[in-house]
Parts: sequence; C-alpha cells; structure tokens
Amino acid sequence: MSSLSMALRLTPYLARSNGSSFRETGLRDAGLPILAFGTVTALLLTVAGGSQVFWSWSDDIASTYQALAVVAMVLLIIPLLTLGASAARLAARRRDDRLASLRLLGANSGTVVWMTVIESTVLAAVGALAGAGLYACTAPFLGLIQFRGQAIGSHAWLSVPSILGCVLAVCVLAAASAALGLRKVMVTPLGVRTRQTADGAHWVRGLIAAAVVVVGVVAMGMLSSFGAFIVIVAVMGGCFGLALLALNLMGPWILRLRALSQLKHAKRPEQLLAARTVLESPKESWRQVGGVAMTSFVGVFVGVGMAVADSMGTNGDTEATLLVRDINTGVMITLLGSFLMVACSAGVNQAAAVLDRASTLVALDRVGMPRKLMVAARVKAVMSPLFLVAGISAAAAAVLVLPLTGAALLTQPVVILTIGGVFAAGFLLVRLAVAAGTAQISQVLARPERYASMDS
Amino acid sequence: MNAILHAQQLTKHYPGSIALDHVDFTANSGESIAIIGPSGSGKTTLLHCLAGILAPDAGAITLNTPSSPLRLDTLGDAALSRLRREEFGFVFQQGMLLPELTALENVALALMLNGTDRSTSESRAAEWLGALGLAGMEQRRLGELSGGQVQRVAIARAQVTGARVVFADEPTGALDSATSKEVLDVLLHSVAANGRTLLVVTHDPTVAARCQRVVELRDGRIVADSGSPSPAPPRLAPATANFKGAFNV
Repeated sequence: MSSLSMALRLTPYLARSNGSSFRETGLRDAGLPILAFGTVTALLLTVAGGSQVFWSWSDDIASTYQALAVVAMVLLIIPLLTLGASAARLAARRRDDRLASLRLLGANSGTVVWMTVIESTVLAAVGALAGAGLYACTAPFLGLIQFRGQAIGSHAWLSVPSILGCVLAVCVLAAASAALGLRKVMVTPLGVRTRQTADGAHWVRGLIAAAVVVVGVVAMGMLSSFGAFIVIVAVMGGCFGLALLALNLMGPWILRLRALSQLKHAKRPEQLLAARTVLESPKESWRQVGGVAMTSFVGVFVGVGMAVADSMGTNGDTEATLLVRDINTGVMITLLGSFLMVACSAGVNQAAAVLDRASTLVALDRVGMPRKLMVAARVKAVMSPLFLVAGISAAAAAVLVLPLTGAALLTQPVVILTIGGVFAAGFLLVRLAVAAGTAQISQVLARPERYASMDS
Repeated sequence: MNAILHAQQLTKHYPGSIALDHVDFTANSGESIAIIGPSGSGKTTLLHCLAGILAPDAGAITLNTPSSPLRLDTLGDAALSRLRREEFGFVFQQGMLLPELTALENVALALMLNGTDRSTSESRAAEWLGALGLAGMEQRRLGELSGGQVQRVAIARAQVTGARVVFADEPTGALDSATSKEVLDVLLHSVAANGRTLLVVTHDPTVAARCQRVVELRDGRIVADSGSPSPAPPRLAPATANFKGAFNV
C-alpha cells in the first residue's frame, strides 16, 4: 500500500478518535489553527475586496487610486503572509505526538508526511471557509466606507470564484508549510527529535538589510527624476516593500543582539526567562512582533503623508479634496488591518506557546514558581522586542522619507500626534492580545491533571 | 529520629474513586522512603498531598519546621507555593526543566525565585552541578545533555535551595537500567550526604530496594510499611563512591 493511500486511510480514523476527546484537546489540536486560518482568510478577502474597488474605475484619476491601493497592499501583504505562515506552522506542530506514535506502530516517513499535509490542509480548509463566512458577514459593513464621496457598496464584494481562489491559496500555503516544516524535524518512533541548539540569526542579515535601506534611500532621493506621477508612486511602493523586506531580514538579528545584552544584565527570574525565550528562537520572536514593526513603519508614513496632503492644499478643487480625504481613509483602514493581523498573530502564538509548554508550566507551578512570574516572563518576552522593533522601524521610515519631506515636516504637531497615536494603539492592542494568550496559563494550572500525569 | 512530615487520616476522592482512604503516614528526618503500589493505588496522590500540590478532602498534614509546626492543609495557594519553593525539592520523571535555559540557569533559577541574587545563585548552582558530575557542562542547554544528565540537573535544582524534603516521582522512569542506577545513586547519596528526607514514588522494585524504607499502597490505603530504617547509610555504588564528599555542598 502506498504512503498516500495509507495516509488517506489513517487520517480520518485518527480524526474520529480525536473528536471524542475534543473538549480535552480540541483547542490545542484544532481550534487554534482553525481560528488562525479563519482570521487570515477573512483579512485576505477583505484586503482583496477593498482593493478591487479601485480597479472598477476607469476615469483620469483612477490610476492614482490604483497606485495608492498597490502601496497599501504591499504594506499589508507581508504581515498577512507572516500571519498565514504562523497559522500553517501551528497546524503542523499540533500533530507531533500522534505522528511519533504512528512511527512506533510502523508507519513510514512518507505516510507521516502525507498525514501531516492532509491534516493541515483540512484544518486550513475549515478555517478558510469559516473566514470566508466571516468576510461575507462583514462585507456589507465594508460597503459603507466612502471613497470619492460615495459608499463603495457592492464593489467590495468579491466574486465566488475569487473567494474560492483565496480559500484554495490558504490551503496550498498550509500544505506547503506543513511539508516544509516536517523537513526540519525528523519524527522518529521515540518522538519528535528536539532541537539541540538555539536558532541563530546571523549578522549578514543586518548587512543585507542595510544595503536594502541604502538602495531605498537613493531611489527616494531620485524620485523627481522619474517624471510621470504613476512611476513615482510605483517607485515609492517599491521602496516601501524594500524597507519592509529589510525590516524582516534585520529584525531577528537585532532581537538576538538585544536579548543577549538583556541576558547578561538580567537580575530577576522573569528577566532571565524572557531573554532566554527570545534567544531560543529570535525568528519566532520576530514573527510575533514583526507585524507591529510594519505598523510602526506605516505609522511614520501616515503622519508624513497626512502632513504632505495638508500642506499641498486643494484650492477648492473638489477632486483633490476628495483625494486627500480618501488617502486619509485608506491609510486608517490599512493601519486597522495591520493592527488586527498583529493582534491575531500575537494572541494565537501566545496561546499556542502556553499550550505547547503546558506540562512544563504545571511542573514549574509544582516547584513553587509564582504564576504571576510565568505571565510576566511571557509578557516581557513579547513586549520588550516589540518596543525595540517599533523604534527601529519608525527610525527606518523616517530615514526613507527625509529626502522627500525634509526635517521640518517632522516638527509639525499633526505628524507627532499621528505617530504617537499609532504607536500607543499598536502597543495597547498587542498587550491585550498577549494578555488574552497568557490567560491560558491560569486555565492550564486550574486543571493540571489534563497536562501532567497523575495516574496512580 | 525526628518526624519531619506527618499526615493524619488523609483522605482524597476523585470522581468515582477514592485515591486516599484515611492514610496515616510519618516521614522522619533523613529517611529515604519509597512509596510503591500498582497504578491507581494512590501513591502519586499521597506524594502530591504531602508536598502541598493537592489539597486533601480531609485529614491533616504537618511539616515540622525549625521554628514551629506548619499545617499544610490550612495554607492558601500563595503560602503553599512559597513553601514548595523554600522547603521542598522536586524531581519528576522527565526532569521538567526549562529547555531554553542552560543547565546552570535551570539550577540557579530555583535560588533566584527565593530572592538570592544571580551571581550567588549561579555560583552555588555551579558547585552543585560539579558535585553531581556535570562540571564543564554548566553552559549546555538541556537538548545537549543525555537523559541521565538532565535528571542530575533536576536533582541539583531540587536541593540547591536547601530543601529539607525532596519529592521524586518516578525519577528513573524514563531512563535505561544503567543510567537509572547511576541517577538513583546520585539522588540517594546527595540526599543522604546533606541530611535531607527523600520520598520516591516508583513502580521499580530495584529503586524501592535501594531506599531505607518502603511503604506500599493499595486502593488508597497503606498495606505495608517496612518501618524506620537501620542507621546504616545507603550502599554506595563503586562508580559514584568518590562523589560522597562532594555532596556536602
């Protein structure tokens, strides 16, 4: 019997047996991945639906809106992909224990790979369909948003083939991520082989990121020589994308350096634990806070963008007035979407991390580690990198826009207020999401028998 | 011998079953006691009640501290948590240490939780690791240690705070027989050398045979107790005999 046919036979069987104990393990095994995939799909459809509105216009100014929509999508797509990849990894790592048991029973590695891919894809499909349902529920409200002086209405609705295409894309992402993820851990009959060394984050990442920022600064400095407005906007969009890429490259490396310094100077247990948590996997830490780095980056552009629009003036030109207003609307929607992705990512990742470590948390509680210290360590492990990357992202954005706007613009109150508001809202939202995730610690410790053996 | 831990008429129910049925039990200072019995006999429940992890439905548990006797069954969560940190040490089957920390940090953390500064904590942790045969491995993460070495780290963590009672739940359950013997030697000798009391829950008769006293549970009741130990110290295995002096950390 081939590995695939064996996997097709075993997967439904195991899913049934797991279903009987869903209340015990359902949240850990299926609930979180489904929630994560659902959120990814709903946000993806919302972004796609919102963007298509701008392509339904064909008049002179339509190209301006389309160019700005491209910039917004560039800003949103990276945190969205990050959230999607987190969801896929979450789905794949749920299966570790059961897959090891299967290996013990004689299943070969091919069967295990196929089962992982099938299960992750099924979870993704369920989540994606739920996400599509959520999009269908929210689309009427999205239709109330006004662009060019009127509600976008049914233009925000995607066609059924487009929705199915998005659902399929999420499933493919889940399947690919599951297959690639299994290449990193060898599931042996005695369990999943644990990683023996911490993840690294090489300094070369910093070098590449610095080069990318230099290219971006040069391109922004040459904007006026590009001539046509649409080309200028396209170059700006490209620079935004390059800056986000630089942030993604540099982020884990910076976090590792900072955590090493914090580890060296840690005096209290929670400081030690938080620093070690980040050092265990700087990339994982970056995935949790990277979205807010993007938001902070966007926030600086928002402030500057609004100030630019404000200083341009419209001289009674209705079309220009609407454009300025619509830019503000688009920027706020982009920020809201970005915040939502970050909050979802942080909440899901924290809840998953707590459930993954449930038996260790129970053991630590038994040896007398205070619960508030466990929570404090997890909060610090997220918020400390968050503050760091937000600051660096804002600085990177400021460096990029300086050639365009000049230093004087940064002294305008509207810029400072907008940026401050963006940062405060982002921090608060992530802190709330982390609190929701770490609330799982109390639930785990309230029912320790679910997670620790008390068999005699 | 002085009683350090005393349980009286301890009773604990789980839905549909009784785990402890009016159990009377006393652990004396410096004893190593094996608690044995078939699955479901209540041995882990007894260990958890004595350690203040589980609250009994009825009965009293008294810990004799240098200042005054302490009734565990009347303490709140925070006080019990503090008691477990300061008076007790734990060794679990899988070590249950933090994988992201080094061996040294795992042991030092127990002291830092009690308010000891980091430098002193790490210095004392290093002494313990050295005494347990892990010198030179202090900076290794748990994934870089063998199962037996991880259990040695857990044994160091359990005693570095000066805990007067060490609770061990199947401490060799996940090890092969040779490593199991090695870890048990380390556990017994380190506990004895420092005058601590050891309570071990085990299915393994060879582990029980190495303890000074064996208590057998069945259906939530003590059905056999070999009684207080002879004054002779536990037998030293040749491979670890040279550690004896080093255990007085």
